[in-house]
Amino acid sequence: MTEFLCEYGDDRDGAIVAFLYDDADGSPGERTRFETHLPTCARCRADVAALRGVRTQLARWSPPEPIDLRSTINNQHARWWRDIPAWAQVAAALLFLGVSAGVANLDVRYDGNGLSIRTGWSTRSGVAQSASPANDAPWRADLAALERQLKTELRAIQASSRPAPAQTVRAASATDADVTRRVRALVEDSEKRQQRELALRIAGLLRDVNAQRQSDLVKIDRTLGVVQNSVGIEVMKNRQQINQMDLLYRASQKQ
Amino acid sequence: MTWTDEELVAKSIGGDADSFNQLVLRWERPIYALAYRTIGRQEDARDVCQETFLRAFRALPGFRGQAKFSSWLYRIALNLCRDWIRRERRAPVVQPPEDVDLIELAAAAEPSESIEDLVARKDLMRLVESAMALLPDEQRTAIVLKEYHGLTFQEIAELVGCPLSTVKTRLYQGLIVLRRELSKNSKAER
Repeated sequence: MTEFLCEYGDDRDGAIVAFLYDDADGSPGERTRFETHLPTCARCRADVAALRGVRTQLARWSPPEPIDLRSTINNQHARWWRDIPAWAQVAAALLFLGVSAGVANLDVRYDGNGLSIRTGWSTRSGVAQSASPANDAPWRADLAALERQLKTELRAIQASSRPAPAQTVRAASATDADVTRRVRALVEDSEKRQQRELALRIAGLLRDVNAQRQSDLVKIDRTLGVVQNSVGIEVMKNRQQINQMDLLYRASQKQ
Repeated sequence: MTWTDEELVAKSIGGDADSFNQLVLRWERPIYALAYRTIGRQEDARDVCQETFLRAFRALPGFRGQAKFSSWLYRIALNLCRDWIRRERRAPVVQPPEDVDLIELAAAAEPSESIEDLVARKDLMRLVESAMALLPDEQRTAIVLKEYHGLTFQEIAELVGCPLSTVKTRLYQGLIVLRRELSKNSKAER
């Protein structure tokens, strides 16, 4: 490769760059000097041409489209829910479920008829009311305690909300609706995650099954090959024996 | 009526939130692009962009107009990028997709662009990204500011705090490295 010599001087790099970008910051004298030099210097011409090529390639690099950039800048407050730690979100969800259970008059029991969960303001059965504590398992006592606690909390909530003005009630129901929406979103997220995991597991399973199938097919193929081979050998042996017998028979016929 | 940056800044300082929104609208893409090309990660570039505007908003009362608003914004963004790089303690890596996603490609296709052209364009972009990621920070910053944001050498020198001749040298050296890397990668691709 031919290496051309350039006699432009120490500031050659800067002059090339200033020429390349046609920057007004470069001194006019420097530019004129370089423009005069360029036709006489093959090395500089090659450099300028190559770097122009680089610039053409650079021009094709565009960053990916930003996703909801403005909304993240302008709507900082919208991030508050995501900024809450996961444990706090879970705690909030559990608290909500607890309160919902209380509000719904949740009745969970496990007896001879199996597990039953009942909600709503239905009339309590006499059996439930008269259940003997002596016959209860420890978890039943816990459940009863939980039920009592929820009822107490519910009564307290109801008592505190009764004298409130209509506006406060509306605000509370709006908050409830908000919390419900968030919990629903959490549940939906969880479902989506589970579906993804399930899909991944199924894909993995299918892959394993397929690999096993391929492996079995190869084994079967090999075994068949061996069997065919041995059968072929047997057939050949039999043919040889038949040929020999035939020869012996013919020889005996001639005698 | 279109307000200048300086007018919008003055109105924002006076308490007009909508003026600042207009500044965000005007500068969010250039700042995002600067952050993306400097640190090479979409998510982090978005965070840097967001943080840039938040910081600018907080510091707006102290902005006296010594520099252009855009230069001031660039400086905040570059400082945040520098912090990010320092925090990550590694060379910025642009994450090229592992393989070509045809759905994404089809969605990004220009009406007149064939899939082949599109793949070629994407490949070239990937090559440029990879080559840029190899550059030292100061060379990459100089190239990004000059090439994609059209700043003058003087503006870059003021922004990064170095002599004008150093900016030119960094640009030249950066371009030489890119030339070598791009030609190497192009040969490897063939």
